[in-house]
Amino acid sequence: MIRALAAAVLLAVMAPQPGGAARVVSLNLCADDYLLLLAPGQAVAVSVLAADPALSVVAAAARRVAAVRADAEAVLALHPDLVLAGPYGAQTTLALLERRGMRVERLGLPQDFPAIAAETRRVAALLGEAARGEALLADMRARLDAVTQRRPQRVVFLEARGYVAGPDSLAGAVLRAAGFRPAGPAGQPGLETLAAHPPDLLVTATAPDYPAMATDLLRHPALAGIPRREVAPALLVCGGPWTAQAVTVLAR
Amino acid sequence: MIALRAARVRLGGHDVLHDIAFSAAAGEMVALCGPNGSGKSTLLRALAGLLPEGGAPDPRRVAYLPQGARCAWGMTVAEVAALGRIPHGDNDPAPVERALLACGLDGLRGQRVDRISGGQARRAMLARVLATDAQVLLLDEPTADLDPAAAHAIMALLRRIARQGGCVLVVLHALDLALRYADRVVVLQAGRIVADAPPDAVLAAAAAAFGLPWGVDPSPRLLPPGP
Amino acid sequence: MTRWLSLAVAVLFVASLLTGAAGVGVPDPLILWQIRLPRAALALLVGGGLGLSGAVLQGALRNPLADPGLLGIGGCAALGAVVAFYWGLSAVFAPALPLAGLAGAALGCAFLLAFAGRAASGPSLILAGVALSALAAALLALALTLAPNPFALAEVTFWLMGGLEDRTLTHLLLAAGPIVLGCGVLLALGRGLDGLALGEEVAASLGVPVRRTLRLAAAGVALAVGAGAAVAGGIGFVGLVVPHLLRPAMGERPSALLAPSLLGGAALLLAADLLARTAPLLLPLQQEPRLGVLTALLGAPFLVRIARRVAPGGAG
Repeated sequence: MIRALAAAVLLAVMAPQPGGAARVVSLNLCADDYLLLLAPGQAVAVSVLAADPALSVVAAAARRVAAVRADAEAVLALHPDLVLAGPYGAQTTLALLERRGMRVERLGLPQDFPAIAAETRRVAALLGEAARGEALLADMRARLDAVTQRRPQRVVFLEARGYVAGPDSLAGAVLRAAGFRPAGPAGQPGLETLAAHPPDLLVTATAPDYPAMATDLLRHPALAGIPRREVAPALLVCGGPWTAQAVTVLAR
Repeated sequence: MIALRAARVRLGGHDVLHDIAFSAAAGEMVALCGPNGSGKSTLLRALAGLLPEGGAPDPRRVAYLPQGARCAWGMTVAEVAALGRIPHGDNDPAPVERALLACGLDGLRGQRVDRISGGQARRAMLARVLATDAQVLLLDEPTADLDPAAAHAIMALLRRIARQGGCVLVVLHALDLALRYADRVVVLQAGRIVADAPPDAVLAAAAAAFGLPWGVDPSPRLLPPGP
Repeated sequence: MTRWLSLAVAVLFVASLLTGAAGVGVPDPLILWQIRLPRAALALLVGGGLGLSGAVLQGALRNPLADPGLLGIGGCAALGAVVAFYWGLSAVFAPALPLAGLAGAALGCAFLLAFAGRAASGPSLILAGVALSALAAALLALALTLAPNPFALAEVTFWLMGGLEDRTLTHLLLAAGPIVLGCGVLLALGRGLDGLALGEEVAASLGVPVRRTLRLAAAGVALAVGAGAAVAGGIGFVGLVVPHLLRPAMGERPSALLAPSLLGGAALLLAADLLARTAPLLLPLQQEPRLGVLTALLGAPFLVRIARRVAPGGAG
C-alpha cells in the first residue's frame, strides 16, 4: 500500500514538470506528506522527519529532497515561493518569514475523513494540483466504501504512554470506518482499568525500531491476553488520504 | 609506654618535626609546650598514629582528643561519651558511667551537646576519651576556651588519671597549667625538642635554649623579658 | 519506633496491593501479580534505599543537607539509565539498565568522595552536588538530542519526574538485587558513622577505618540509588526528609537512624505512590501525579527549614 504510493511519488518526482511550478518548502511532517504526494516536483526542501519511515508516508521520496530545519535563515536561502507549516510550532520562524513578505500557509489537523477531504482539496488548490488531489481522494473513498459491515466489536486504540484515543480523534474515526465501536473515554485509563475491563480488540501503532519509552507500556504482560492488531504509525501521525489504508488493514 | 624515635615529619612541603626522640611512661603526665607552629600538635598526631608514615597504635590503648573537636550532631552527652567504647566494640555501660562521673557530667547526661555550654561540651568530649579506658591519653588543648575553674578541674582530673597508672600527654598553651600539674614539661621550637625536664627545672633549660635574657625565679613564674 | 515503622510499611504495602483503578479489594490475579505487586514492591525497595542512603550520606559527610538527589547522585544514575535505554543496550541485555544506573551513581559518588575531604561538612558540599546535578542534566539532554529516537528528549522529561506506574515483574527483579545488596552494605556502617560524627581524625583514632567506611558508603549508595533511579526515574528528597523526621524520636546518633530511615523511606514512598494512584480516582485529574513531584512538594519546604537552621560553615 505505502509502497504503491511511494512508487507513484518517485515517478512523479522524476518526471519533468510543466512550466510555472512554484518552489515550495515544507517545515512540518504532515505538510511534507501532502507536498510530496500532490506536487513532489515543486518540493525544494522538507522537514527532517519526512525521511523517517516510522513517521512519514513519503519517506522514500523525502530522501531525494533536501531536508531543512525550521530556521529562517536556512529557509530564506532556498528562495521559496511558498512555505507550508503545521498549525503549531516554528512560530518565531514563521513570524520572521512573514515579516519578510514570504507566503506562509499553515495546514490544519483533520480528525475525521470529511475534514481530510477538505484539507486535501485546499492544499491541492494551493499547489495547483487539484486533479491529483481528487485522485487521492477517490482512492480514499474506494477504500472506505470497501469495508463490509460486521458486528461492532469494542475496540481500544492504545497510543503512546497508554493514551486511549477518544471517539472524536483521528484514530476513533479510523476505528469507526473499519466497522468497530471505539471504546472511550479519551485519556489515560491506566493499565489496571484496561486489564480489568479488557476490550474485544486492542489496536496499536507498530512500535518503532529505536527504543522508545512511550511504547514500552504496550508490551506489558498484563495486556498480553488481549487480541491485538497493529497499523503502521505513519498512517495516523498525520491525517490525510493515506489514513484510509489503516481502515483497509483493520477491516480485513 | 609510648615512644617515638628519630621521627621526621614533613607536611605541606616543609619539615614540621626534626629528629624527635620522645617517650613517656605510665604514671606520667607530660605537657607539650611551645610557640605556635612548633610542631606540638603534629607530635601528638604522630603519637596517635594519624600521620601517613606512622603505624597506628591499638585504639583500645591510645585515646586521642584533637583541638576543637566537635560533634556534628545533637547527640546527648551520654551518647557522646559512649562513643569511647567503639574501639572495644561493646556497649559496656560501666566505663561510660565512670567517665561521666569523673567529668562531673552526671546531671547533664541527657542533654544535647549542642545545647550546653562550651565548657560542658568539652568535658563531654573528655568523657568520651575516658570511656575508652585507654592506657595512653593524648589531648590537644583540652582546656582552651574554658574558664579558669573548669580548666583547673580538668587538669586535676588528668593528673589523677596519671597517678592511677595512665600515661597522659597534654598539649598546652597555658604554661602556668603545665608547670602546676605536669610531671614533665617538653618544650618544642621549630620542630625540635629544646627542653624536657620537670617543671622547676624546665624554665632554666628553656631560657638557656632560647637564649632569653632573664633570670629564673625559684617559684615557677614566668617573668617577661625586658624591652 | 522501629516496630511502628515496620507496621506502617506492612500496612501500606498491603493497602497498595488492594488499591487501584480496578477497585479496592483483592483484584484479579493478573492485576495483582503483574501490575500491583511490582509497583508496591518497587515503592518499598526504592523508598527504603533512598531513605537509608540519605541517612548514611548525612552521617558520612557530617552534613544534614545530604541527600542522593540534592547531591546529584540521582541525576548521574538517571543519565546512565537513559543512555542504556535509548541506545538499545537494555533491549539486548535487560540488566544493562540497572547496571548503567549503578555505574552513573558510582561515578557521582566517586566525585563527591574526592570533594568531601576538603569541605564535607559545609554548604560547599551541597554546591558541589548542585554542580554535579546540573552537569548530569546537561549531559542527559545532550545525549538525548543524539539519540536515535527523535522524541527521546520529550518523553524522558516525563520519566525524570519519577513514577512507578506500569512497571513489570522484570523491573522488580532487575532492581531488587542491587537495592537489597546496597542496603545490606549500608546497614553495616553504623559503628563507622558514629565514629565519624566526631570528625575523621577522632574516628581514625578510635580504630574506625575511615577511607574504607567512606568507600563502602559510596558503593552502597550507588547500588541502592543507582538501581532505584534506573527503574523509577528521578525521585528526590526522601533521603533528606526521612532522617530528619526520625531524629527527634530516635536521637541523633547516626547508627540509630539507619534501619528506621530504611523503613521510613519505604513507608514514605509507599504512601506517596498510594496517593498518586488514588488521586485520579478522587479528583478530576487527567493522569497520575508524578512521584518525584509529590516528594518534592513535601521535601522542598523541608529543605528550606533545615537550611535555615544550619550554621554557615558547619553542621547544625
